[in-house]
Amino acid sequence: MIQGTRNYLRFLWRCVRIAFVGDWRYYAWMGVLTALTLIGLNAYCKQLVYGLAVTGMSDEVSWGVYIANFTFLVGVAAAAVMMVIPVYIYNNEELHDLVIFGELLAVAAIIMCLAFVTVDLGRPDRFWHLIPVIGEFNFPASMLSWDVVVLNGYLLLNVHICGYLLYCRYHDRKPAKWFYIPFVFIAIFWAVSIHTVTAFLYVGLGGRPFWNSSIVGPRFLASAFSAGPALIILALQVIRGVTHYRITDKALLTLRSIVQVAMIINVFLLANEVFKEFYSGNLHVASSKYLFLGLHGHHALVPWIWTAVALNLIGMFLLVLPLSHSLKWLNVACVCCIVGIWIEKGMGLVIPGFVPTPLGAIVEYSPTLNETLICIGIWAFGILCYTVFLRMAVPILQGRLAKANEGQPEPDGEPLPPAPSLPASH
Amino acid sequence: MATPAPVPPEPSGPSATRLLAGVGLGFAALAALFVAELWGRPASFRRIPLVATSFLETKPIRQSYADLVAAKEDLSDYDCYACHEKNKPPPIKFDANHKIVIPKEHKNIEMGHGSHDRNNLCYNCHTEQNLLTFQARDGRELKFDQSVPLCGSCHGPTYRDWEAGAHGRTSGYWDRKLGQPVRLACVNCHDPHNPKIPGREPAPGPHSLHEPAPAAAGTSHP
Amino acid sequence: MSALPANPQDRTSDRALSRRSFLRGTAAVSGLAALAASLAPLRELGDFTSIEEFFQKYYKELTPEEMKRVLARIERQVEQQYGVRPHVRDLKPMDGVEFVYCLNLTRCIGCRKCVHACVAENNQSRNPEIQYIRVLKLPHGSLDLEKAQHDYVAKEVPEKGFFYMPVQCQQCKNPPCVKVCPVHATWQESDGITVIDYDWCIGCRYCEAACPYWARRFNFAKPEIPKERLNPDMAYLGNRPRRQGVMEKCHFCIQRTRVGRYPACLEVCPVGARKFGNILDPDSEVSHILREKRVFIQLKEEMGTSPRFFYYFDK
Repeated sequence: MIQGTRNYLRFLWRCVRIAFVGDWRYYAWMGVLTALTLIGLNAYCKQLVYGLAVTGMSDEVSWGVYIANFTFLVGVAAAAVMMVIPVYIYNNEELHDLVIFGELLAVAAIIMCLAFVTVDLGRPDRFWHLIPVIGEFNFPASMLSWDVVVLNGYLLLNVHICGYLLYCRYHDRKPAKWFYIPFVFIAIFWAVSIHTVTAFLYVGLGGRPFWNSSIVGPRFLASAFSAGPALIILALQVIRGVTHYRITDKALLTLRSIVQVAMIINVFLLANEVFKEFYSGNLHVASSKYLFLGLHGHHALVPWIWTAVALNLIGMFLLVLPLSHSLKWLNVACVCCIVGIWIEKGMGLVIPGFVPTPLGAIVEYSPTLNETLICIGIWAFGILCYTVFLRMAVPILQGRLAKANEGQPEPDGEPLPPAPSLPASH
Repeated sequence: MATPAPVPPEPSGPSATRLLAGVGLGFAALAALFVAELWGRPASFRRIPLVATSFLETKPIRQSYADLVAAKEDLSDYDCYACHEKNKPPPIKFDANHKIVIPKEHKNIEMGHGSHDRNNLCYNCHTEQNLLTFQARDGRELKFDQSVPLCGSCHGPTYRDWEAGAHGRTSGYWDRKLGQPVRLACVNCHDPHNPKIPGREPAPGPHSLHEPAPAAAGTSHP
Repeated sequence: MSALPANPQDRTSDRALSRRSFLRGTAAVSGLAALAASLAPLRELGDFTSIEEFFQKYYKELTPEEMKRVLARIERQVEQQYGVRPHVRDLKPMDGVEFVYCLNLTRCIGCRKCVHACVAENNQSRNPEIQYIRVLKLPHGSLDLEKAQHDYVAKEVPEKGFFYMPVQCQQCKNPPCVKVCPVHATWQESDGITVIDYDWCIGCRYCEAACPYWARRFNFAKPEIPKERLNPDMAYLGNRPRRQGVMEKCHFCIQRTRVGRYPACLEVCPVGARKFGNILDPDSEVSHILREKRVFIQLKEEMGTSPRFFYYFDK
């Protein structure tokens, strides 16, 4: 028991230590990310002191880029786990190890989500009011309370699965199936639920006709399963380039199929929305008019949404064409999908719900410098976390950080080869 | 167990040592920038002037005869026989267009009670034989402080609403067990000779948190 | 042995390694210094919160003793900040009372006196501006709120061809704001008023998004109340000064109505367009109106909110 705990602590200590060593690219990358995170933290301190008036939000548009980014990232977190389906349900061995990279991305995304929600609160010091029993938790009536439950549960699920699998690999032990397989299957359902609950946050508001529509939930999932795996495709190529971890093109192309189908569904659902809003000509379409065409001389969002639509269409066509079997074009398609969906799900979903207000007033929104710095800071922090997770996970998966080589000096910069029998690669 | 990765070639570029030094210096510079607070101080809010206290006034715009008596005001305006002769009702003159001609002693009165001059005969309300009373449509004589049933003798539905508290402001206590409501007479709001309530300048409009000063009438949000 | 590029700086030199460890250490220290410096703005945090407030229990769980202490704390804080000693009470709803508000759209002239009387009575922030009541100017014949003007300016109101509709919290029977609050900071009391515990609200603004009448307001900055216009007659759930970062809204002037008086908006209305009272009392003016008037509407009735605010017409 004590030995077990001591082993675990030493494992953690080695993981922490390895996060601080790397080559010059690693130090540069981490340095920049840390600097951006600190700038974001500084901006948040100013927001705490002066209040949310330092953002561009107002009583008319009371949610802004914080909640927009939160919504996008919940989708990324949900989709990151969807790689689990081909591996565990369809027994696709290509993607097997990559599941961990996906789940680590989910953990980083959830951390970013929790950060975005926290910076949006007016009184973050009162967070304990949310804790059941000692606070007053309005579950199950409030969808926000559901969100708190599912997001934290998802975080724990993924931390457990990744942590357990990595720890077993560290000890070169075969993981016990009962200790992680059930959680993997729960994670599949939980991934769908976190995004559906987030969609229901919006759908459940009868006073906002732009959101009060049954298409929001399916659109959330379709766009999440486009943007999430697209991000993973890009991330895996970075991992492959930097650490030379073995990731086959076949794995990337499997993910491409997921993005392809999801994007087609996403665009189809967009067409549905546009038809429903504009064909019947009834009076509840003011928000959609504001978004796509501008309303009464206010048209700040119009260039954004059309850019997003164009990017989505370009991405979809590229994905459908065999052209995107080549990694260069696949990457272009992925970037189009990610940016397009980030715009339409973020600003293109949150802001039009507030314009016009329920009493018909039009007040536009644009984020301030302070708000933008906080967003960049949180993104930098999330990418920093993901980098740290990978910095620990890749050596473990490659066998270079293992119980077997405990006590030896840590690999510094690029790691030494593990076995002398390796043929020379040049 | 996956085959271990092959050795990657050493990437060219500045050494890790130099970069670490740079990172350290960068953080120190960042710390200095933070403490100097070079950016992010929010602009102070647009000063919205306090509303004029006249807009917070709850007193009614006119005073009834009863109010004047209670406040011990000068009642000489209501002493008709100071100028008029008893038993000699003053005649009412009309011009060529059948519009009433107000004598110069009463030029502060503007007649406008009813459209198309259908009610501009003084003795529809005032009593010819006794200028100190009113006459209701049913023949009752009412004193100066009984103007409400006078108005009510023609304006039935409004009078019924007024009795129930639904017409005209009722202030004070809604809970009659805890205090008294304050009722107003018709003349507290309506000039009996020209009852249409005059228009007034509205109080200033709202200001949104980040918007510039509001535009002129009708030019901003429709 | 595989071919390793010989780079003395990065591979085997012990001196290089210890130099790098040293630099790693200094980078970490300066990183921590940057972290501490980034928190520099917090030195102006001031009275963001106090120990008492941080641990304060939920309103419905406070014992009478604890509530007395809380009220005393509020009185102290207000006196410290404004130089005026207020009287803060915790007023409970009266039995057999359900409040209803009726507003006569034939009478309202759009003067906005109610807006400013409310601001004065309820100690709302002047900069940034918070106003619970919003008066809408609508063209004759239409209740389409998209046609409403909010910031009308005129030499004289009422203007021909328009009517005016003040909107504030409708104290709905089925309030969406209560449903969505994650911490129960807002709830409906037995006399129909939907109240907010300002010391419990976490400022997530979900209720503001949920309200179909745009009735709720958020303190985006520290509220600014001029000392000379502070109303010292306060209630815990009503007009005591709020903090930065919490929600507020019309509460039917709880500090007045729960002691039997009319709300401030009604008292200032120069044309008597506003009517308020207990619907459970058949002799109240609101009961009379809802019995006698043939046409009265509830805003956005199709939302299913069942508002306690009725707009009616004489002609």
